[in-house]
Parts: sequence; structure tokens; C-alpha cells
Amino acid sequence: MTLRRSMLFLPGSNAAMLSTAFVYKPDSIMFDLEDAVSLREKDAARLLVFHALQLPVYRDIETVVRINQLSTPFGPKDLEAAVRGGADVIRLPKTDSAEDVHQLEAEVERIERASGREFGSTKLMAAIESASGVVNALSIAKSSPRLIGIALAGFDYVMDMQTERGDGTELFYARCAVLHAARAAGIDAFDVVYSDVNNEEGFLKEVDLIKRMGFNGKSLINPRQIELLHNAYAPTEEEVDYARRVIAAAEQAERQGLGVIALNGKMIDAPIVNHAKRVLSRAQASGTRK
Amino acid sequence: MHMERPERFDVLPPAPLWSNPIVLDDFEFLTVDPSADPALQAEIRALLAKCGLDYEDGIDVFVICRPQGRLIACVGLEGNIVKCAAIEPDCRGESLSLKLLGEVVHLAVERGHSHLFLYTAPENQTFFRGCGFYPLVEVPNYVSLMENTPVGIRSYCNKLKTERKEGATIGAIVMNANPFTWGHQYLVAEAAKACDWLHVFVVAEDASRISYRDRYRLVELGIRGIDRVTLHHGSQYMVSRATFPAYFFKEKGMVGHCCTAVDLLLFRNFIAPALGVTHRYVGTEPFCPTTRKYNEDMKYWLQAAETGTPRVTVIEIPRTAVMGSPVSASEVRRLLDARDFDRIEALVPPATLELLYEKYRTVCFPPA
Amino acid sequence: MKIVKEALAGTLESSDLMVKVAPASDGTLDIVINSEVIRQFGAQIEKVVRDTLGKLDVTEGLVVIEDKGALDCAICARLQTAVLRGAECQDLDWSVLS
Repeated sequence: MTLRRSMLFLPGSNAAMLSTAFVYKPDSIMFDLEDAVSLREKDAARLLVFHALQLPVYRDIETVVRINQLSTPFGPKDLEAAVRGGADVIRLPKTDSAEDVHQLEAEVERIERASGREFGSTKLMAAIESASGVVNALSIAKSSPRLIGIALAGFDYVMDMQTERGDGTELFYARCAVLHAARAAGIDAFDVVYSDVNNEEGFLKEVDLIKRMGFNGKSLINPRQIELLHNAYAPTEEEVDYARRVIAAAEQAERQGLGVIALNGKMIDAPIVNHAKRVLSRAQASGTRK
Repeated sequence: MHMERPERFDVLPPAPLWSNPIVLDDFEFLTVDPSADPALQAEIRALLAKCGLDYEDGIDVFVICRPQGRLIACVGLEGNIVKCAAIEPDCRGESLSLKLLGEVVHLAVERGHSHLFLYTAPENQTFFRGCGFYPLVEVPNYVSLMENTPVGIRSYCNKLKTERKEGATIGAIVMNANPFTWGHQYLVAEAAKACDWLHVFVVAEDASRISYRDRYRLVELGIRGIDRVTLHHGSQYMVSRATFPAYFFKEKGMVGHCCTAVDLLLFRNFIAPALGVTHRYVGTEPFCPTTRKYNEDMKYWLQAAETGTPRVTVIEIPRTAVMGSPVSASEVRRLLDARDFDRIEALVPPATLELLYEKYRTVCFPPA
Repeated sequence: MKIVKEALAGTLESSDLMVKVAPASDGTLDIVINSEVIRQFGAQIEKVVRDTLGKLDVTEGLVVIEDKGALDCAICARLQTAVLRGAECQDLDWSVLS
């Protein structure tokens, strides 16, 4: 089970951050070639990210590259660099429809063939940043077997909605829509960044909300937020205890060849077992909640 | 593929790296021209004053950093000279200053200047050394000139060395020749007589009324027939805007002590040793106070001062006179303003006269 | 690849480097490296620089490196960026960049 609670954004043009970010141990690291990189540095960032992706230290951490839209002069070159550099996931910005993903998918297939990278090994994720994207969330989420998740990106979305970031009311429908689309398609869902890095309380409040809603995790812009997030996602002792018992019961049922899993005389079905596995993997990653 | 250096991973990066949100770069830099914006100019002036610096007119462009509307850093660029670098005292830290300098270096390249010079107080040399600037000369307790390449002066001197001639007396003359007169011709001829070999340099900075190309060509024609002379193109390291900024603004009537020192020390410490120059020749200066001051300073910095490099003897050769008055280029320029070609004819060789007549007969000069 | 104009890449910040390239004045390849870690890593940095230039088939020019303790991958990327800018090259040949 791949944990994707924290996805740390790094400007692709910053050599120091690219070389050291892994020490903070986020679940995924996202090298940004898009908004965090000035026009002057697009070429430089592309090559930095291409080489950073190949650092041995990133072998054990999921790497995501946010490319520029394919319609820009930068997008196609960014994609070449990311796929050839070995990025695990390509993040497509400003995804409005399934067609955007299909176009990306075709390009990824071509580059995989041309570069000799294992076919199908490049995964995709789509960032939804507009009203159209939110409305099309389900078709986007189901558009490609390579898609591992969809993410809501708040900044452009609230502009498109003619509102601004506030207490979350402005994202109410979009969060629900993206989350439901992801779950219906069986992929992950990621929440927006929380940009006020000095407001720990506000951050934790938002994390609590999106965790309870069911999001897999959140995009982060500062490493200080990683530990806070992981702790908030960590299960309690009781949850871990219960999950252990569920898994033990499931294993016992499997050993005995039983079709039905029972714990304390109650029947347990697959979603509960899956949830227990998720609880244990979160506990394994970050312990229990402090 | 590449060997990595695991040592670097033992320590976390310093805290400032992560102290700000990183979706956008920590600091955004703007390129501005404050000459057209009095309010901005006042802001920059105030920041410079806080850092003990003066606002300088003539700066082409500034790079500034103004997060949340508060100006915290600025640096100016005038041609290929970095000036007026200042950071709000409570915002100082490695990261901002390095970014600021990096920005201005990138901007300079975009504007066609990759070879940059910078004046700073000697105690700041170490900081700018960390920004890719290398010390050229230092006037103790006063000022240092630095350039942003480790090979600039070295490769220039290596080129000069190929022109080196052996002999007990090797002379040098640096002339602007704006324009070349009988006075220059006389100076070169007299100096050449006294030397085993003479090196003549023409100031390359295109800040004079007569273009460098024309000035060089006229010197070339004018000294033809004088033996044992090598004519050299000038360079950034010799009476240029970078080494001697005040020379090109002499209308201001002010030549700073440090300005001539920097230029002369470059000559003494690098150029003279490369060519084995033992003597520098100049004409006496009856008219121009800037040039007179330069000649006086020359005696100190080339000859008297202790610098750890061989001394260069300064020889002043009295100006040649035509009809009782000394020949000078500034007099020729004055006559040129009045289109008095009859009187110019007596002061300059035929080639100079021809060029002045052809090119400047109809040109209207702006008032100096 | 021929360097046809002066070009710059990188920053002066810690763990990064600034690379300057310029056309050759006399047909030779001059590499000047300055580094805060020159004593431990000077030879290795030079190897990365020469390998990278070799792959790009840069045989002449002036390359000045101001290293602030960058990783090899950053040295390689910054140098490639400066060369591509200096050669005014828009098309990336990934086989020589890896």
C-alpha cells in the first residue's frame, strides 16, 4: 500500500533544495517545473530535475514532476526530462477534461518507447484547478490506467470561481467532487496546499477536516508541515490494536480457507480489512498519534 | 552514473533555506529604472543612506527586492560596473545577498555585459569573493576593484607577454588621442629615442567625441616611421570606465584620489610587469586639470608608493609648441566646436585634419 | 557543440554553483574551477566537468565554475544549461545529456 499523505513541493530551479529535500522524508516529493520556476529558468530547472531524479537518494521515495501544460513551449520538453529522468509520476497541471489526460498519456507512451523505459512504468496524476475540471472530475479520474490520483489545486480554482481562499467554504463542493471521483475510480485524492506556513493551528484544522473527509493527503510547501501532517494522520493506540486484530482474523480465515472473516463474533468484510491495512501502514510510517 | 558525495548528507541544510514558503522563490526581484520614478528613487536613496552609500546618477538599471512593499535590497548596474549594492541591515544574511548578486550578474549578461567590475571597501572583499568576484587592486583603507572572472587580468597579461621586448629601458605611453595631434607625435618620437622599445596604448573606451576606431587609426598613421614602437589596443584594465570612472566625467571637475590610484596600480602591478615596462612617458599638461592631476598621481603610484611590484619611472616630456603655445587635444576639440579648421591644421597631422574635416564638418556637438 | 556567445547558469547560493561559458579566443578549451571544497573534491569536480563537456562535444571555449559545494548532478545540470544557452541550442539531445 503506497502512502501518499504528504507531497512536498520543491521549485525545480533550486539546486540546494533538490539535493537535500529527501532528508525530510515526505511520502512523495514533487519537483515543480511550472509556477515555481520563472520563465528565465525553465531550461535550467528542467535539466536540474532531470539529474536530481537520478540521484540514488530518490530511489526510495516517490518522485513526482509537475510539468508545464503541454500547450506551452516548455511542457513537451519538461515531459521528456521527467520520463527519461525516471520520475515515478507526472503531475499534469490545469486538467480540465479526460482529453487532457489522454494527450499526456499518448506522449508518455511515445517517450517510454523512444527511451527504452519500461512501458507503463510512468504513472500520472491530474491536478484539477478549474470549475470545468471539478465538473469533469469523474471522467478525468477514470481516464487512464496510469492515473494514481487527482489533486485539487486551490489557487487557480478559487480565481475561476470568482472567490478567494478562506475558511474552506469556498472549496466545499470541489473537495467533495474530487474526493468522490477519486474513490469511484479507485485512485487517490489530494487536497490543496496550505500556504500560511506560520499558522500551525490553521494548518492542523484543515488537515483534520480533509482527513475526516477521506483525502489521502495534502500538497505541502514547507518541510515543517510534514511532521505535523504525518502525526495528524497517525492512528491512535486503540485504532492500531483493533487493526492488528482485524488483520490477524483475516490471516486466520485465509489459513483455514474460510470465505468469511469474523472478529468477536461479527462478520468483517473487505473494506474493513483494507482500512486496517492502511491504519497499520500509517502506524508503521509514523508511529501512533502524539 | 555520477559519484556522489555522501558527506553532504550528514547535516541538514541551514534553517534559512526553509524559513519561507517555497512554492515561489523566497524573494522576488524586480528590475527597475528609478531615473523615471522619483518616489522609487527616494526609497533607494534612503536604503543606500542607511548603508552609508550615496545614490549615483547614471546607473542604467537597479535590481530591487521589495517583499510586502518594503524595499529591503538594491543593486545598480552602470554598463559593466556593479554599484550601489545595499541590504536593509535587519534583513542581512547569506541567502539574500547571494541571490541579489546572482540576479544582477544574470541581468548584466542579458544586457550584454558578462565581464563585470565592482568597487567596494577593502573589508568587503571577502564577501564579494564569495559572489564570484576577484580582487584586482586595493587602495589600502580606501577602495578595492574586483572583477567577476578569475582569468580576466591573467589572460590579458598573458596576451601582453607575447609582445614583450627585451631591453634595459622599456617605455610605455597611454594616450586617449582625442584626437591625435603633433603633440602626441612628438611625445612618441621623444620617448622612442630614449628607450630600447616603446609600447603605446590607445584608450579603448568609446566615451570620447571621436570614436575609438578613428582614434586608433590616427595614432597608427601618426606614429608611422618611428622605430622600435608597438601600438596596442587599449583594454578594460586601462583608463576605462571600470578602472577610472571619473576620467570620463571630468566636466564635474573632480578626480578622486582613489580613482587614479586604481587605474595606476593596475598598470604598475599587472601591465608593466607583463611587458617589462621600466618607464612611463607623459606630456606635461598645461591646460586640463584632470590630466595634470593624473600626471601627479602617476609619480606617486607608479614610482613612489610601496606595492611590492617593481617601480616604474615617470618621465614628463615638455609639450611641443606651435607658434609659442603648447599643442593639446583639448585645444583642438575647442577649435573643432568653432569649426576653425584653419587653426586646427597647424596642430594636427594631415590625416587627423582630413578625418576631422570629413566627419565633423557638419556635426552639431551638444554643449559639453 | 560550439559556444557562440557568453552565457551564465546557476546561482551563488550554498549547494549550487554558477557556470560561465564564453567562446574560445584561441581555439583551446580552458576550464577554471573555484570551489569551497576544492581540496577534497577539486579533482572530482573537474572530472564531472570534463565528462559533461565531452558528451556535449564542447572542445573549445572558456568555462568558469564558481562552486558552492554542489552535488555532481547539479554541476552537470548547470554546466549543460550554460553550454546550451551559449551554443544557442534549443533542441535537446537526451542521449548526450544523461
